[in-house]
Amino acid sequence: MKRKLIAAIGVAGMMVSIAACGSDSDTGKDGAKPSAGGDKSLTVWVMDGSAPDAWMAEVNKAFEAKHPGVKVKVEKQVWNGIQEKVTTALSEDTPPDVLELGNTQTAGYAVTGGLADLSDDKAKLGYDAWNKGMVASNELDGKLYSAPWYAASRVVIYDKAAYKKAGVTPPKTRAEWIAGLKKLKAADPKSQAIYLPGQSWYVLAGLVWDEGSDLAVKDGDKWKGNLSSPEAVAAVNFYKELASYSTAPKDKDEATPQQSTDVVPKGGVASWIGLGWEAGGAIDAMKKAGKTADFGYFPIPGKTADKPGSVFLGGSNLAIAERSQNKELAKEWLALAAGKEHMTTYAKATEGGLLPNQDGAQFKPAAGSFAEAMAASSVSGKVTPVTPGWANVETAPNPIKDFMTKVLKGEDAKAAGEAADKVINERINQQ
Amino acid sequence: MTVDSQGTASAAPQDAPGRAAGKSQTPPSPSGSNEVLQPSRGRRSLPSGLLPYLLVAPALLSMAVLLLYPLIRNVMLSFQQLNRKEFITRETVWIGFDNYTDLLSDSQFWTVVVRSIVFTAVNVALIMAIGTGVGLLLNRLGKKMRLVLSLSLMLAWAMPIIASVTVFRWLFDEQFGVVNWLMRTLGFSGYEQHNWFETGFSTLVIILILLVWGSVPFVALNMYAALTTVGTELYEAAKMDGASGWRTFWSVVFPNLKSFFMITTFLEIIWIFKAFAQVYAMNQGGPDRGSETLPVFAYIEGVGQFHYGVAAAISVLTIVMLIAVMSFYFRLILKQEEEL
Amino acid sequence: MSTTTETPQKLRTRKPLTAGVIAKNLTALVLAVVFVFPVYWMFSSSLKPQHEIMTKDPVFVFTPTFDNYTTATGVDLFWTYVQNSLFVTLGAVLLALLVALAASFAIARMKFKGRKGIVLVVMLAQMAPWEVMVIAMYMISRENDMLNSIPMLTLIYFVMVLPFTIWTLRGFIAAVPVELEEAAQIDGCTRGQAFRKVIFPLLAPGLMSTSLFGFITAWNEFAMVLMLNKDRESQTLTRWLTEFQTAFGSDWGATMAASTLFALPVLIVFLFLQRKAVGGMTAGAVKG
Repeated sequence: MKRKLIAAIGVAGMMVSIAACGSDSDTGKDGAKPSAGGDKSLTVWVMDGSAPDAWMAEVNKAFEAKHPGVKVKVEKQVWNGIQEKVTTALSEDTPPDVLELGNTQTAGYAVTGGLADLSDDKAKLGYDAWNKGMVASNELDGKLYSAPWYAASRVVIYDKAAYKKAGVTPPKTRAEWIAGLKKLKAADPKSQAIYLPGQSWYVLAGLVWDEGSDLAVKDGDKWKGNLSSPEAVAAVNFYKELASYSTAPKDKDEATPQQSTDVVPKGGVASWIGLGWEAGGAIDAMKKAGKTADFGYFPIPGKTADKPGSVFLGGSNLAIAERSQNKELAKEWLALAAGKEHMTTYAKATEGGLLPNQDGAQFKPAAGSFAEAMAASSVSGKVTPVTPGWANVETAPNPIKDFMTKVLKGEDAKAAGEAADKVINERINQQ
Repeated sequence: MTVDSQGTASAAPQDAPGRAAGKSQTPPSPSGSNEVLQPSRGRRSLPSGLLPYLLVAPALLSMAVLLLYPLIRNVMLSFQQLNRKEFITRETVWIGFDNYTDLLSDSQFWTVVVRSIVFTAVNVALIMAIGTGVGLLLNRLGKKMRLVLSLSLMLAWAMPIIASVTVFRWLFDEQFGVVNWLMRTLGFSGYEQHNWFETGFSTLVIILILLVWGSVPFVALNMYAALTTVGTELYEAAKMDGASGWRTFWSVVFPNLKSFFMITTFLEIIWIFKAFAQVYAMNQGGPDRGSETLPVFAYIEGVGQFHYGVAAAISVLTIVMLIAVMSFYFRLILKQEEEL
Repeated sequence: MSTTTETPQKLRTRKPLTAGVIAKNLTALVLAVVFVFPVYWMFSSSLKPQHEIMTKDPVFVFTPTFDNYTTATGVDLFWTYVQNSLFVTLGAVLLALLVALAASFAIARMKFKGRKGIVLVVMLAQMAPWEVMVIAMYMISRENDMLNSIPMLTLIYFVMVLPFTIWTLRGFIAAVPVELEEAAQIDGCTRGQAFRKVIFPLLAPGLMSTSLFGFITAWNEFAMVLMLNKDRESQTLTRWLTEFQTAFGSDWGATMAASTLFALPVLIVFLFLQRKAVGGMTAGAVKG
């Protein structure tokens, strides 16, 4: 009885503080979205496939237990057209309170003033425990705008049977990789030794980083495209060499057609580069078609055997909308979801297919699993240039993709790089 | 022209008399003159007063609120810098004609303008030619075959745009396309993995096929319906005179359906010029921006890059161009108004 | 299909087979196949198991499955989308018919100052670039708290189809002989009664064909609804069509099943109306 009373008082007190918050906000619209009985709801936008349902339910249950009367409403979003949707949502009076943002896009939103500044809540959110590599994309000009959530990187997925038949073992260096591809091609000329569509630009990014350079570099206080640099030219030429073992379209990326579900399951592909969910998708699709997948995984080989090749550490962050009517509650939810306890269960729920935001929450992957290969390659994980303008570069038509297609079709890499740099220069410095 | 509409409109309730009346009033005009207008029909100066204004008021009012006002807002946006930041913070930053001067001095913009105009012209010409041909064919087919063909046309017309673009992309897909399979099966070499979207031009050709496919049913079915109202004895008379099919068309069909052609062409020009989903979804304006038309350009430069002010400016320029192109049309149609 | 089954042209086809007859039937057949093929492909893909949809050599013979339809209709809020789509579409079409009927009657039958101007306005309104006006429309809705509103969407669609509706109906009204109206008035009908009893019944096909166009336009619209209505509860079936294209790949079978179901109402309306209305669409406007 007593405990209930205390809880009730606590809630009432919180309501007051929230109401005060609400009136602080510039809009003066109806606070939160009160449903019947004065209860509050917290809206969370996550991308389809980011959060296992059971895990999400567990987090919300814990949150609602701590904050009686508050209901968490999770809305799944699709990637298609998400930038427009988030942009308009952030401009509205009742935006989603918490939202998932791709890590390459976060800075682009931070600069608009649409995201709440979380710099003062670092302790509450558990900032110190976060993986330093993943924090970078959440900060802009020294301020914190979101919490890292998860990251993932690509590895090479191979058909064990095809590798065995050709007598190839997982390579450790680029030279071994190419030698293996040659053997695979010789062993089965009808198959593709590797399926690599011409516009898989995150793969190219890794190759550029391997050369010690980047897709764009800072020049004074401006950014400029760097695809015409000798490093980028060397990287794209290696990409071209890899792609010569593939008959994949030169002007498509890995999602059109979806390599995991529409290409690989049809057979005739000895290896490909993909993410954890892509491997899972391929296995499922093959099962449905009555085949069995026998995949092995290895990190993208580096130039030397001591370090795997660089990979793009794609992932998501969780941010709070500046116009949220429930900022304090949203921060509580964020602290819970991105805290060690739930990140540990998160890593477990995704079986290591996604890296949690802190090393302490890491799941020990099974031997020979995708997760194992990914964990091995994550030491070489990197992100695209952290600047608000980067999101503009990525939007279609992506100049990096056009650059790759041109080179693969035989154009001079330096000339194509210069054309692409021109577009990048135009876009990257705009906000 | 009176005849056609009269025939159709009265077809249902009182078929024969309405038709006969319409026909008999029509002076045969094999000479090709288009003066088939009926002095006896049309508006009469019935006592009106305030009534007409009351009747048009709801229409005008709703268009003013939901069309004119947004249009004005759109013009205002075109004089603003409205990027993602201003959009979210709801700042208003006036920048005068900057969006316009930037656009007008951008060679890319002019390339796209020329491309859009040529693309629309070719498209509309093809649609009208094929649509008319199919319409004429429908008129001359037996009952069963006519049903088959018109059903097929209707199915094509009813297919959702999103689905039709997806299907067309599959049909012409490099790896899994039915068209490549067909070419291989017919024994052509080089279609093992032919890329139909290799260049901007080839992509535009595919989009053109899609648009023609999607628009012909409208023209053909309407053409057929309009044809059924052309006095058949005119047709017969022309045949008797030994006129060729071609001559019959130009001397009998065309003059009688002149305003049908005018209106349909007018609508098709607008629809094709503004077509966005079909062009964008086919190949996102690629490769290398080679298949962008004006609406796609507006989307990529404006909305895609979050430069809403620029997008607004492009749309204003588009409207201005469209009005310029169409002005002769307006004059023609207004002239007919007077003759009514 | 036609109102002209009794015309002489028709009779001509019953002549013995000639090269010309064969040629024209063959052409018709080829055209029919060409036009129907994409539709057939959509439909057949919707019945294929996932792994047989995208194949190097197309699969023509397969065991049909309704799995894709189960997936498509099993989506959360499916019935909400259906309800919204129907409300928005029918609401817009009916409203447009009502308002357009009044306006087009005035334009077609009455002489008044500014009439020509109104005709011009209606023509210009057809050129409205709705896709780009989405941003302006969004900002207006945002300011007036009209986001995620089904009535607002209905009103927008109403204005979208209004110009064409006025344009077409005007042609139909003008086609009704004035004498009929006058006769009715001589018989003691008021002008309103004359309209209701004489003109309106004659307009039935015109109203139908006009509503068909409005139906297709409103039913297929997606730019506006995607931007203005973010709440899933306030979205329409067009949102549903893109539901199956996720980050994990596209469920093409479900997309095609959804598309097939989506096309169905249009087709039904079509088949239901076409006897009287097909072609009326511009036949009315032919009046010029």
